[in-house]
Amino acid sequence: MELIIEEITYGHKLLGRHKFSSNNITIGRGYDNDLIISDPHVCADHLQLHFDGEYWFVNDQGSVNGSFLEHSKENIIHHKIQSGDIVTIGKSQVRFVFPSHPVTPSIAISPFESLINLAKHPAVLALSVTLFACIACWIIDLNNAKEVSLTQMLVPTIGLTLGFALWPGCIALVSHLTKHDARFWTQIGISFIFFNLMWLSDIFENIIQFNTSSNFSMIWLITIIPLVLAYGLFWLNCYVGFHMTTRRRNVVAAGLVILLFGGSFIVQMSKKPNFNPRPQFNTTIMSPTFLFTPSNDVKSFVSDSTILFEKATEMAEKDKKDK
Amino acid sequence: MKVIFALLLISVSSISYAVEQAEEIFKKLAPSLYQIRLIDKASGEKSSIGSGFQISSDGLIATNYHVISGFARHPHKYNIEYLDNKGNKAALTLKSVDVINDLAIVQREVNEEMPFFDIAKVAPTKGEELYSLGNPHDLGMIVVPGTYNGLKNESFNDRIHFTGSVNSGMSGGPVVNKETQVVGINVATSGNQIGFLVPHDKLQALFQEYKQGAPKSIELQMTAQLMRNQEKLINTVLASDWQLKKLGRGLIPTIDVPFIRCWGESNSDKADAQIMAAVANCDLDENTYISSDFFTGSLEMEYRYMESNKIGSTKFYHIFERQLNQVAPGNKAGKDDVTEYQCHHDIVMPEQSNINSKAVFCTRAYKAFPELFDVLYIGISIDHEQYALLSHFTISGVAEETSLAFLTKFMESVKWN
Repeated sequence: MELIIEEITYGHKLLGRHKFSSNNITIGRGYDNDLIISDPHVCADHLQLHFDGEYWFVNDQGSVNGSFLEHSKENIIHHKIQSGDIVTIGKSQVRFVFPSHPVTPSIAISPFESLINLAKHPAVLALSVTLFACIACWIIDLNNAKEVSLTQMLVPTIGLTLGFALWPGCIALVSHLTKHDARFWTQIGISFIFFNLMWLSDIFENIIQFNTSSNFSMIWLITIIPLVLAYGLFWLNCYVGFHMTTRRRNVVAAGLVILLFGGSFIVQMSKKPNFNPRPQFNTTIMSPTFLFTPSNDVKSFVSDSTILFEKATEMAEKDKKDK
Repeated sequence: MKVIFALLLISVSSISYAVEQAEEIFKKLAPSLYQIRLIDKASGEKSSIGSGFQISSDGLIATNYHVISGFARHPHKYNIEYLDNKGNKAALTLKSVDVINDLAIVQREVNEEMPFFDIAKVAPTKGEELYSLGNPHDLGMIVVPGTYNGLKNESFNDRIHFTGSVNSGMSGGPVVNKETQVVGINVATSGNQIGFLVPHDKLQALFQEYKQGAPKSIELQMTAQLMRNQEKLINTVLASDWQLKKLGRGLIPTIDVPFIRCWGESNSDKADAQIMAAVANCDLDENTYISSDFFTGSLEMEYRYMESNKIGSTKFYHIFERQLNQVAPGNKAGKDDVTEYQCHHDIVMPEQSNINSKAVFCTRAYKAFPELFDVLYIGISIDHEQYALLSHFTISGVAEETSLAFLTKFMESVKWN
């Protein structure tokens, strides 16, 4: 019976695959073997495989370092091979597979995949990058109290756009280095679509902040949007750049979100002074165009303010007790 | 020529007469004059000095509150000590304070009846010659002649304007008339030849109150005084005439009382500015000293009008928003004195008004003085594309009720023209 032997790494990554039709196969470092493994910890004659007409058996040839089934510490002597067995020899691993070994069902190319490929369509790509550059330019202008000409804004705009292109660029480089398809333009397309969504969520958040009073308790919902967007971006970056299981992709994306937002949260907390003499309040003000909420009257504002006195008094009393 | 010569002669003789008198006064009063020192217990050295004078035969000594404020706030950290004209040193105990008028009464131990200063019954007349006594810069006791110039106009709590050099270290020293009666207490200086004194009647009142019974605790006494003062101040302000003045297209309230003064500035001289800005601010010309890093009793109002035809509405409000990050409290206070600010914001349009604003109100509580707060309000109009008005006030050391009354009146006063 034919036998397939796979050379694999310790991480079970495939290095080479060989198909044998003879009934006796030898594995070792010596050149007379059927499968030569150039690992210094492997003996010249290390393993011998034999087919008795019904079953395949494997035998250690008295090697220095022995041969072991994965997750077992016993040296292999006349072991009956099951399809999929992994054997460690020296610092290498081999896997034995029968031709009848089942394979996972084939994955149909999903419409999702074609949606992702849409991101690298030149028109979509140009549109999202241009939109990004326009918003960046607009924000640079907003933050500049002095009058600035268009040419003065051009350099920082291009700089910012290139800066943001570094992220998809790096991911494409990493996937290329790890023997995956780089898919640079797809990464660029997806990332810029998400960067634009993040700008928009920023504007949306500002409008909500502007239109709500501090009595509005659902404001935390707004702060979740950037987290969701970042998760989506990292998830797609993984999907496009690397072959990995869905579970792993979820973990990596969540990990990156925690690293990014948790990290910046910790940095902010560490900068927070022990006592802040300045008042902290929501400073958002916008043009009346964005005001949709009805106004309150003075009386209710004043009565809302009375709660602050209670809070402050409580804080002062708590502090006194702590002393 | 003759006339000039005669004038010169008169002035020379009057100067020499004044000097003679000053010397005589000094000799007579020296035994009742003290240098008051705050000794830091840990280092054993003096941390601040001032002057003081005896006001009773049994050893009561009057000085400034700010001279002994360190002890009043942290009694475990300091000792109070006196140094008399013979170089004797001994401990003093704090008996009573008037934090609003910056006065304090301390007591030394006495074995026999001692000479002391009489407190005047009536205020001096304008132009009257007075003599200020004290120990400036630790240089030894001196006497400085000067003139009484009436009460300072711009102050809410009375202060005498004294034309004469009051220097640091003379704080708490007495100012006497020719009859050696105390008419004031050195308290502050405003540069060359301008000094300020606490009028004698404030000391008389504190002295009488102490004779009726010593305060239960200095902290409670201070709380009551701060509470009374804020009530008096805010009620006076609320009852005064609030005049609406034009600032850009807005109408802003200013309060017509001498102790609140207003100033203004604008950038109308800069033709190329993107935003035309005009600022007016009014404030109380005094505050109450509690310790070197804690002041209270201030009141400040600020208005800022901005208009622009050159930039879009979004950018205009964006630039305006950045100015809000600079909001700071009106008084100095630290972690040990106050809590952090608690804030609240909303969109508010007063009834029967034409201005729609984003309003922010913040408050923080005093840790040592219950029911006293610092408050801060900011309103920014958000109903016009190209112009906006910011109205802001801070009051320190107020009660909840008075500050909310002020808030209501203030919010209802600001409007568009």
